[in-house]
Amino acid sequence: MERLADRKNEDISSLVEKIKSGDREAFMTVISLYQKRIFLLAFSFFHNREDAMDIVQDTFLRLHQKIHSFRKGENFQNWLFQIAKNLCIDYYRKNYSKRKEWGIEKDVEEINSSLQSNHDSNLSSDLREIFSQCLKKLAEKQRMVFVLKHYNQLKYKEIAQVMKIAPGTAKSLHFKAIQNLRGLVSPYLGERYEGV
Amino acid sequence: MKECKKFRKDLVAFLYGELEARRQGNFLSHLKSCSDCQSELEKLEEVKRGADSLNKEIEEAMSSVDWETLPAQIADAVFKKEERQRESWFKRFSRALYRPQLRPVYAALLIGILLGSFFTFVVFRSPFKKQEKGEVFIIPQDFIERVELEMARRETLDYLEKSQYLILDFVQAASEEERTQWQREFASQKARNLLLKKKYINQQLDRFQMAKAKEICDQIEYLFYELTQVADHLPAWRIEEINNFIEEKQLLLKIRLLKKELEESKKSEV
Repeated sequence: MERLADRKNEDISSLVEKIKSGDREAFMTVISLYQKRIFLLAFSFFHNREDAMDIVQDTFLRLHQKIHSFRKGENFQNWLFQIAKNLCIDYYRKNYSKRKEWGIEKDVEEINSSLQSNHDSNLSSDLREIFSQCLKKLAEKQRMVFVLKHYNQLKYKEIAQVMKIAPGTAKSLHFKAIQNLRGLVSPYLGERYEGV
Repeated sequence: MKECKKFRKDLVAFLYGELEARRQGNFLSHLKSCSDCQSELEKLEEVKRGADSLNKEIEEAMSSVDWETLPAQIADAVFKKEERQRESWFKRFSRALYRPQLRPVYAALLIGILLGSFFTFVVFRSPFKKQEKGEVFIIPQDFIERVELEMARRETLDYLEKSQYLILDFVQAASEEERTQWQREFASQKARNLLLKKKYINQQLDRFQMAKAKEICDQIEYLFYELTQVADHLPAWRIEEINNFIEEKQLLLKIRLLKKELEESKKSEV
């Protein structure tokens, strides 16, 4: 996917110019180039298909609205990821913080106890659920850095541009995210991880 | 241990293949000789593998999306939304007004207006209501009384004036012939008219308690009555008697004074 973006990178500035002049086809080309990456980012952040689809649509709507503020020479992908990242965080604050307050999200301990009582359950799906919930427990920035690094496979430098932070900070946030995840999942991994 | 602390920070970067080349040599040589760091790396690898377990879920979600049609869908939605945002407030307002969801509201409003108009028409056009309200021109009792009093005064004044002229004519008639002629005219026409008028005035004078005027008018009436009773030709003794009556009662003076009084009372009221 990254290669595809690189291959099209030479054309992206002309595509951007065309979008600025209201070219629908150019806009659709850009969407087809980046839709999966945006979806991947949003889905790995929320673990919810519908929320991820909303973010994809809103990201391209925002892109179309803000395309005139895109400067020549700027990394288009990072600029687009910045939009998506901001939307994800806004969306999370708007919708998920309430869910958390209302206790809709499952607690890791709750999942653990249900797993211990059900020895025949599918371990891989259990592990997915554990990780999914533990990821949601990370702080916003750590979680975003982890998602960008692990699932979107961005480099620290790119993450730094998307997050508007220093590369060292991105590296540090990633380290903290892994450490915290480890702390959250270690009780379960110690007993069950063998053989998965 | 101090060295471990230095290299621990690079463990995650190493795990994700982002450790700078210049630091990688030292890191690997330390890792080979340090079992603690090896163990730590293994634990972090476990976490990474755990995070990888979500890849399947991500792949499933990715495969559930129709990526071919999505760009067109998004483009449609974006252009439509932007078109709506570009529309003038008036168009947006008009569009909002013509929303199909509002049709029941408009229907209810229309029915309300029609019913309101109907009931307004019924209430304000009803003949019963009109009769009830009556639109009767009410004249205050006080006003009617004042008008009637004024009419009585005028009638009395008119009666007094005519009576005064008749009596003066009678008194001033020098010869017997003149008196006879006067008697004919008087008896046949004026006296009867004045007597009739007096009957009308009587009611007014009683009603408004004009006692003084009534007394004088009664005397005049008596005089006229006497004159109408006699024949065409008045005997001299009768003329003498009437003259005496006029003088004795000072009838002409009283008439003048009463007239003056009535005229003054009228002026003072005005």
